[in-house]
Amino acid sequence: MIIQVAWKNVWRNKTRSLIVISSVAVGVFAGVFAMAAINSSVVQRIDAAINEELSHIQVNNKEFRSSSDISDLIADFSSADSLVRSIPGVDATTGRIIIRGIASTSTKSAGVEINGIDVGKETEMFDLEKKVIAGTGTYFGADTKFNSVLIGEKLAKDLNIIRYILTTDAVARLDSMKIPSDVLAKLEPVYGERFTSDKKFNRELEKLLAPEEYKRYAILIKEAAWSYREGSKIILTFLDMDNNQTGAGFRVCGIFRTNNDMFEGLSVFVPAGELRTLTGIKEGSWHRLIARLDNTDLSDKITLQAREALPGYEVLNWKEIFPDLAMIADFMGQIYGVFMVIILAALAFGIVNTMLMAVLERTKELGMLAAIGMNRRKIFGMIMFESIFLSIIGGFAGMGIAEAVIEATQKNGINLMKYSEGMEAFGYSAHLFPTIDTGFFVTTTILIVMTGILASIYPARKALKLNPVEAIRTE
Amino acid sequence: MKVIEIKDLHKIYSSSDIKVHAVNGINLDFQEAEFAAIVGPSGSGKTTLLNMLGGLDMPTSGQILIDGTDLSTLRSSALIDFRMRNIGFVFQSYNLIPVLTAKENVEFIMSLQKWLKKDREERSFELLKAIGLADRYNSRPAKLSGGQQQRVAVARALASRPKFVLADEPTANLDSKSASTLLEIMEKLNHEEKITFIFSTHDPRVMKMAHRVITLEDGKMVSDDVRE
Repeated sequence: MIIQVAWKNVWRNKTRSLIVISSVAVGVFAGVFAMAAINSSVVQRIDAAINEELSHIQVNNKEFRSSSDISDLIADFSSADSLVRSIPGVDATTGRIIIRGIASTSTKSAGVEINGIDVGKETEMFDLEKKVIAGTGTYFGADTKFNSVLIGEKLAKDLNIIRYILTTDAVARLDSMKIPSDVLAKLEPVYGERFTSDKKFNRELEKLLAPEEYKRYAILIKEAAWSYREGSKIILTFLDMDNNQTGAGFRVCGIFRTNNDMFEGLSVFVPAGELRTLTGIKEGSWHRLIARLDNTDLSDKITLQAREALPGYEVLNWKEIFPDLAMIADFMGQIYGVFMVIILAALAFGIVNTMLMAVLERTKELGMLAAIGMNRRKIFGMIMFESIFLSIIGGFAGMGIAEAVIEATQKNGINLMKYSEGMEAFGYSAHLFPTIDTGFFVTTTILIVMTGILASIYPARKALKLNPVEAIRTE
Repeated sequence: MKVIEIKDLHKIYSSSDIKVHAVNGINLDFQEAEFAAIVGPSGSGKTTLLNMLGGLDMPTSGQILIDGTDLSTLRSSALIDFRMRNIGFVFQSYNLIPVLTAKENVEFIMSLQKWLKKDREERSFELLKAIGLADRYNSRPAKLSGGQQQRVAVARALASRPKFVLADEPTANLDSKSASTLLEIMEKLNHEEKITFIFSTHDPRVMKMAHRVITLEDGKMVSDDVRE
């Protein structure tokens, strides 16, 4: 009966209750959705780090990371590989030759990390093949007499391999994208002109377009004007095993695009065999052993096992290689805590306020209930249930809306291209696909109920302090 | 059989240097199934006496024994429970729970006392029938007239078969027709249920129908008129 009365009391003043419920719902929705968006950014970054850059565990010669010396190879790669593969939870392994060098074209050069890879195994373990921009190559697929290299879009831009030209096709594409004709007309002076760098093209667009137009259309115009001549060549220069400078021309077999500018600008990939020929590194020798696990959550456990099995080597997992990423992943819990404290505090104040008003308005009735024998526990319970109902309805509505919006935005993502430069510089995608696990909803529900209970204490105590005789006389 | 014994009851309200002797040395007994009115001018101590009889207010001195239990010996929670089980209340301004229907209001105390649903329904139907509102069982108080609401309040007070019912000026807010109907119902239920009714009133119609009229003046009992 107490629960029934409390429920009916919630709807006694429908407008007020709906306002409180709506504000709770909006607060919870905003918190959950913001959390999902932030979470997605971190999850996507971790996924990219594991699937494109690092995998889960790396084994190096103990000196290699500090010296970067070509001769610091894993002494007995084959045994180390067998030991790592024998650990339950290890899905696949591969080796990499890693050499620092310089990549150059006729006009530009840049420092790079040259990764000599086993193409077949890398394709199984990493997603980089899927990141190759259409029309830029076949990811070591073409049967060519030349050495081949896979490079990132950032490096391609730095080396002036990618250019911007507003060709007739590019303008037609922009027209089909409903770019206003007056904007296209403003671009006419640069039709057909070749821009060798991102910066130069940006500068020109800024000159030609109004600030608002630039803000709105620059990304689309750049995308359409992006131009690459398939089969471009770069020169890679590095030291061989005898510390003599060597190098060769490499045909670009693909340009990959990730969300990490640093990775795109620094890492190039060539088949290990080509690198062995040029450096003199023997067949079966590698600088790094990389292991992919069945489950990312096993990283810490398997790292310890691998460390025990390979005492003479440096064994690191993705968290140790990118401690900032691990810290952010751990920090998510704290961000969640701060978010929830803010939301729940707002929720609590809203409910305390509403319930205090309700107690004040119902002084006479509460006095009557106490007089006819409703004990303090039941009066307290009634007020508490009213608070919990308000919190739960608002909380569930907020979570429901958040879930629906997360679901809807998961299909196409949230495009933050305006901020892509800044975000991608730190390896974060500007295209977010909000995601949150079920545990978050369960925790949030528990916290909302607890907040409802806590928020009811003060108004309920006020109700308990009423003197029935005086309360009944209240008008 | 004595239901209530009042022994040398005093109630003094003190504020700074002023002391008001609201009830001054009252001795009274109420028997089972009495239909008694406490009358007197405003400030004579009627409501104070009724509040003390209902355990809502404590005497400064003296004793109230209900079925032998001294109310002043009960702790707060025990007193609330005692009220729920032994005393029915009818208030001047009805004080029904606005979000509950007439039937739910009548059943409210029974559910606090954990009566079975079937028993609650039987009893509430019996009482709603007795007060002539069986057809309005599903109406909320806002849909009932003042007289009808007060009849529901009487049914609520009687629902769990208390030892006695205290009614503080029950007809004060009613028109004469509603007041007469209410009094007839109260008298009928007093007779049928054998439950003592004690009510404070200014209303001559109530005084006329009461079987016993106790008159207070300045906190003292000046007459106790029992009618045949």
